[in-house]
Amino acid sequence: MTGTRPPLADGLIAGLPIVLGYFPIAFSFGVAATRAGFTGLEAFALSAIIYAGASQFLALALLTSGAPVLVSAFTLIAMNLRHVLYGPALMKAAGRGATTRRAWAWAFGLTDEVFGQALGALARGQSFSEGYMFGLGIGAYASWLAGTAVGALAGGGALDGWPAVSAGLGFMLPALFLALLLSILSRRQVPVIVIAGAATVAGTLALSSTSGILLGMLAGAAAGVVRR
Amino acid sequence: MNTDLLAIALLAGAANWAFRVLPTLARTDRLTPGGLLERFLSATGPAAIATLFVAAVLPELSGGKGWPLPFVVGTLVVLAAWGTTRSVVIATLAGAVLHGATVWALG
Repeated sequence: MTGTRPPLADGLIAGLPIVLGYFPIAFSFGVAATRAGFTGLEAFALSAIIYAGASQFLALALLTSGAPVLVSAFTLIAMNLRHVLYGPALMKAAGRGATTRRAWAWAFGLTDEVFGQALGALARGQSFSEGYMFGLGIGAYASWLAGTAVGALAGGGALDGWPAVSAGLGFMLPALFLALLLSILSRRQVPVIVIAGAATVAGTLALSSTSGILLGMLAGAAAGVVRR
Repeated sequence: MNTDLLAIALLAGAANWAFRVLPTLARTDRLTPGGLLERFLSATGPAAIATLFVAAVLPELSGGKGWPLPFVVGTLVVLAAWGTTRSVVIATLAGAVLHGATVWALG
């Protein structure tokens, strides 16, 4: 992941779509948290400590419904179980010589999008660098925190008068995932991609979106094991 | 500060840190050259990206109204920009800008 710039700067630049994609989602979270009766500081704390979008929205629903603390916590933990696959998959792509001396810090930033962006960079032939991972992660985390803070301060309806901006920002993450998918696409990966996509649709329609994501990843990865 | 909120955040946050960091530090990729786990891990990345893409577009396509024009335009622009530039950043930004522009043009 190293080019002519320092790896940290390379990571920050490569993470720009994530930064732009995260801000409006975090903004929505800040708005939703204050609407649910939490303070701006509490909204910010959820973003800073949990740092996982969907489970933060679920946390608001669980807290406002009065669900027991342990039940709520384990529900959120189960929702993010898929993240255990990201580190090993990334390091597999990085190669046996890649170092993880500072992974205790940068790997906390291995969200869905950061993982996808890093994996795409490796698939395009860049070499692994912890500095690059810090660059990707810092931009995304800062955007997430800033979006939450601004959303909590702005309150509801801040983007209501700007539907085109809101729509464009909302399309940022689907566009990023599509671009990442194109960047790693090869004939060899087609069965994995097709099976993962089909399992995601089936799981989402039959169970829930969280189940669909977990099923899709496991089915696709299992397809990779059985293929010749 | 709501103590229930803080307790839930700390438990879920600690688990997130463990899920993301500990498997990375474990370097399981070094243990199984050519084995089932290696093939599983190699396929996990593409499977994850495909899954996340489908999960991101499903809400937009599941309204029963076909494929919305802004979605179609945004998707085609991502494909075209990727085809011409081979840049994830440019393809993503171009797709989002044209998606928003289509919403604006449709009023």
